[in-house]
Amino acid sequence: MKKTWIVSLLLLMTLSLSACGWFGDDDETPDGRIEITFWHMSPVGSDAYPGTRRIIRAFNESQDKYFVRGTGLNFWDYWDRIGVAIAANNAPDIGFHTLDNVILRAQNDALYNLSALIEADLDAGRPTIEIEAFLENQLEFATYEGHLYALPFTATTRVLYYNLDAFAEVGLTEDDVPTTWSELYDVAKQLDKVSGSTIERIGFDPTYGQGTYHGYLWQNGLDFFDEDLEVTLDTQAHVDVLEWMINFNTGAGGFTRNQLNTFGEGNQMLGLNPFAAGRVGMIIETDGLYQTMKIHGSDINFGVAPIPVPDEDGIRINWGSGFSIEMYNNKDAERLEATWAFMKYLMDYDTQMELAEVNGWLMAHYPAMETFVQGNPILEALLEEVQFAVDKVYVPYAPNWHANDWQRYYDDALSERRTPAEVIAMARANYLQKQENFEAAN
Amino acid sequence: MVTVKKQSSLTALKRQEKRLGYVFASPWLIGLFVFGAFPMLASFYLSFTTYNMVGVPRFIGLTNYRILLFNDNLFWPSLWNTLYHVMLSVPLGLVVGIALALLLNTKIRGMGFYRTLFYLPNVVSVVALSLLWLWLFQPSFGIINQVLDPVYRLLNMEPLGWYRDARLSKLTLILMGLWTAGGSMIIYLAQMQDIPFELYEAASIDGANALQKTTRITLPLMTPSIFFNFIMGIIGGFQVFTIAYIMTGGGPSRSTYYFAYYLFDKMIHDNNMGSASAMAWILLLITLVLTMLALSLNRFVFYLGEQK
Repeated sequence: MKKTWIVSLLLLMTLSLSACGWFGDDDETPDGRIEITFWHMSPVGSDAYPGTRRIIRAFNESQDKYFVRGTGLNFWDYWDRIGVAIAANNAPDIGFHTLDNVILRAQNDALYNLSALIEADLDAGRPTIEIEAFLENQLEFATYEGHLYALPFTATTRVLYYNLDAFAEVGLTEDDVPTTWSELYDVAKQLDKVSGSTIERIGFDPTYGQGTYHGYLWQNGLDFFDEDLEVTLDTQAHVDVLEWMINFNTGAGGFTRNQLNTFGEGNQMLGLNPFAAGRVGMIIETDGLYQTMKIHGSDINFGVAPIPVPDEDGIRINWGSGFSIEMYNNKDAERLEATWAFMKYLMDYDTQMELAEVNGWLMAHYPAMETFVQGNPILEALLEEVQFAVDKVYVPYAPNWHANDWQRYYDDALSERRTPAEVIAMARANYLQKQENFEAAN
Repeated sequence: MVTVKKQSSLTALKRQEKRLGYVFASPWLIGLFVFGAFPMLASFYLSFTTYNMVGVPRFIGLTNYRILLFNDNLFWPSLWNTLYHVMLSVPLGLVVGIALALLLNTKIRGMGFYRTLFYLPNVVSVVALSLLWLWLFQPSFGIINQVLDPVYRLLNMEPLGWYRDARLSKLTLILMGLWTAGGSMIIYLAQMQDIPFELYEAASIDGANALQKTTRITLPLMTPSIFFNFIMGIIGGFQVFTIAYIMTGGGPSRSTYYFAYYLFDKMIHDNNMGSASAMAWILLLITLVLTMLALSLNRFVFYLGEQK
């Protein structure tokens, strides 16, 4: 009896430990083929899982030399896992990352040089990846010292979503969609809806959704940093842009800060995107909002357009922030060969089309996406904006400059604890200190 | 001869027991060395390096420590926020825990249910609790401000902003933390069960009232568990992170940006493992010093049956 208990316990422990170490989502055996690992963001149970699995299987069945074992990780877990795996020299052979910091991994020899692989293919007369299929503004971020170390995988873009039902309610049509900041203000004020002192709908708020300070700076030809990554956050123009964002709806904008806070808290309580909830008439969002509204069967009649630009010398530009696809330097020639074959498969026209279908993402392969979006005016408009999408620059001394570093100052300005001029000066001092400290330690 | 043989056999048995002991303890020992000691030593080394978690660590001596202590605009504010949290949450936690234990040590019907009820928040995940309190403390729609509304009207004041107000945010998180005082309450209750009934009986004969019994018998005899919770509170207080991460994101104006939160950001967002490791060691040192100081209070602890 005792022995039975002990054996049962050991069996249970072994099974538990095996389960802990196994994250793969394909149980086929490689039968002597070269096996590589691919980390993606379609975990078992997700909507995209069956499609992703089908794509991987199709590659495995298309040839008998290589075998790809896919591992699907939740989006929120993915970044910690991949970061730790790279740090521990235990990265998958191929996986996603963020396009804007490819340079960090490239300069630390964590990635394979794709330019060399493409050249080798061309020299040998083998089919290879058509680089021309990808936009220059994305490839630039995957390039380090003139060589490609990753490829853009998805093509995120930010646009203005407008609620046509709300437009119709106040007598506006699609012809009235704003293209400049002054038009944006005029239309927004028409869309505002108040009951007593309670805001029921806000026409537009520059701080909502994916409306970012750096995005508005770019539209004005300004930025946080110059080409040498020196802080440039020090002009009156920077202050003016922040003031425009914060004061859009206050003062002459018609609302008090208290009203806006209460309205904003209401949005948070709902847990829905305020545009999808019909609480804002226009919002800046990524292509992801279209997908979300489609999945949830939103009955809002909406359209998308380029983000309105400043009236004088405004630049049509938006923040991209797509994923990259990277081959991690595992120093194994056989696996490199297999990984490169899989990379070429993933990045070809047909697979990119299928990936767009499966994930609902706009993929980076532009000709494939031109076909994919045909007949869908929203997707067509989104794809057009991809051409004007630019990623944020990687700043080694402040990798999170746009979010964590900036957020506390931005919050202070937004809540009127400090003036825009004060927060700009403080943020600048903070970046300078980070730069000084980085240089002291490196 | 017989005696010698017996001793030798006993030693062999002891040796075997010792071996078995190590075998049984080995999973924990392996865990301690692999997942505890090794990362600690690694982080100690990394604290003297610059390491972005992609390349190779490079030794830079005490630079990380120098930068943190003398040229980092968030180091001292985050440390102050943490100290504030410890200074208020530890005594408040002790008081609430003791008060709950005293209340739940009475003999009334359904006491088991009440004890379970108060302990329940300790088995709920901190994330779920934080989200719950986020709703309760919500300034415009939260139930706490709804309940307090008559008071606000009476005093002609604006509703409190709780975690949205930089002056109140730390306090809000501390108040939320009291929700889990049931954890220490269980320890106090266990100790109370150990207090000999004869002491209360003797006190009653001497004419002591309930308050006198509590202050002269119960509380002095609870000092070992109070002391234990005090120490554990200090150690846990310095590690405060999750509630701020979930509820406030360190804001507003970094008022809830705690030391552990900053350490996390250094590693995850700044890719600065060297500096994050240095922060971890500074935190350990501070916790160690304060714990040692707290341990000096041991002389005020009364252990039942102890000869002094």
